[in-house]
Amino acid sequence: MIDAYFIHLLVLIGIYLILAISLQLSLGYSGLLNLGHIAFFGIGAYAYAILALGGLSSIFCLLIAGALAAFFGYLLSIPINKLKGDYLALMSLGFSFVVYAVLLNWDQLTRGPLGLPGIPRPLIFGFDFSSNASFLALVSIIALASYFFLHRLVKSLFGRALEATRDDELATRSLGKNTFRLKSISLIISAFFAGIAGSLFASYITFIDPSSFTFVNLIPILLIVIIGGIASLPGTFLATVFIVLLPELFRFVGLPSEILGPVRQIFYALTLILIIYFKPRGFYGKIDLE
Amino acid sequence: MTSIFLQLLINGVIAGAIYALVASGFSLIYSTNKFVHFAHGGVIALSAYFLFWLFSSLGLNFVVAILLTVLFSALLGYLLNKFFYKPFRAKKASDSILLVSSIALLILLESVALLLFGADVKTIDLIKTSKGIEIAGAIITPLQLVIVFISVVLFFGLYLLMKKTKIGKAMRAVADNKDVAEIIGISSEKIYSWSFVIGSAIAGIAAILISLEQNITPTMGTNLMIKGFTGAIIGGVGSVPGAILGSFLLGLVENFGIWFLPSGYKDAIAFILLFAFLLFRPQGILGIKYNQK
Repeated sequence: MIDAYFIHLLVLIGIYLILAISLQLSLGYSGLLNLGHIAFFGIGAYAYAILALGGLSSIFCLLIAGALAAFFGYLLSIPINKLKGDYLALMSLGFSFVVYAVLLNWDQLTRGPLGLPGIPRPLIFGFDFSSNASFLALVSIIALASYFFLHRLVKSLFGRALEATRDDELATRSLGKNTFRLKSISLIISAFFAGIAGSLFASYITFIDPSSFTFVNLIPILLIVIIGGIASLPGTFLATVFIVLLPELFRFVGLPSEILGPVRQIFYALTLILIIYFKPRGFYGKIDLE
Repeated sequence: MTSIFLQLLINGVIAGAIYALVASGFSLIYSTNKFVHFAHGGVIALSAYFLFWLFSSLGLNFVVAILLTVLFSALLGYLLNKFFYKPFRAKKASDSILLVSSIALLILLESVALLLFGADVKTIDLIKTSKGIEIAGAIITPLQLVIVFISVVLFFGLYLLMKKTKIGKAMRAVADNKDVAEIIGISSEKIYSWSFVIGSAIAGIAAILISLEQNITPTMGTNLMIKGFTGAIIGGVGSVPGAILGSFLLGLVENFGIWFLPSGYKDAIAFILLFAFLLFRPQGILGIKYNQK
């Protein structure tokens, strides 16, 4: 029993880790105050669910889900490139509301508020990931691969150019870098991984409805990125473990389940407020949230 | 056809009045403080629950209950400014920090409402569902007429407050140029505080009218804030008349949009309008520049 619970938490950590490090790329490394990340997660989850329920092979579903999220990342990057600061934040936040409204209302495709039940667990190259333990192995592999890919990416020339754009866009442009293109690519990659995380979430929980992809669900992810520190991948990893595990304590102090939800939300919101007040750089951050 | 048109027009005006109630207080706070106070929606939600608690749970007289609700919301606004935003200002927090913290505050306030009152919808049964008045095939209820009437009176009062009174003039001075206002002896901190009190009192009035017309739910604050905020941006944020104008426009566009799309897409229509304005006319209809740092 304890084992099953432990595996469940590790799977959640893996999914949140992919989601948080992908947000770290657009928010931390590129300096885009992207509040629409949860929408990419939702697009990935729904794309995977719909395709997998249609009987397509898991690996194909996973890649299409990532690619579709990436495509929306590209679409969002077009207006975002013209905007700065607050404007950009509000635009991306608005984007997540539009996606939520579409998920809720496109009944023929998403079954609206009823959600999609019975999403199959992945079956990749003959490996069946239907048990929780094997699913954990799959999530771990994808999370590690994502982590190392993003780690290499941000250390590469491309990553340095991104950080230069964040710190001084004009100077970077005068050095001949196409900063719009840099930001677009960053958002596309960020959205791709969020879509992958969404696919894993959908196939793990096996049931999704639009309520998992609202703006309230953005808070813990934002919190992870800010606690870990802007533009710090190791910090993000530690923060993910911390933020997924800590609210579980509420379960052990015996809070009834109907108040568990709001208590957890209060915990996330309050921690976010305290952290940006007292430690706006998080624990491992190099720069401030601007 | 004409009756459908008229009905959509009426629905649009009612929705617009409700959005304008949200947007005017928000925009008033924005104009002097120059940051996005998202938690304004949370103030509305908590005030609505407060009214429910006084009127439906404690059984207080309605007039007493609404007076206390407005007092409560004004006090809440005052306290939020004093104990939440002021410390952030003192640390010279950037606009992005304030935006993220106000979003977190909105979620915090809504979660507190959820914790105290539960997830089920609450209603205030002051006015039993009365028969609507029919005008050329379109229907409007007396309550909706009252909402539109009170909001118009309120907006006119707000206009007079800003134009004629000393505090209103001082608020406009700070909104226009904080440093110059301070040189001539206006305390900007005091004005920030006043705009929170007045803006939040309007939020209290909005909460009362909205909770008579609609259900009270923990997420009502977010939903209203999205609309009020969109109205404020498209009207020209930082300008209270602009915010009111934009809100009515939003209400009308949303309701006429139902002609083409299912009603569930109202929110999406609102955002498409917001996108269009952010991209092509970020200063809004009235042409006041949104402070971009």
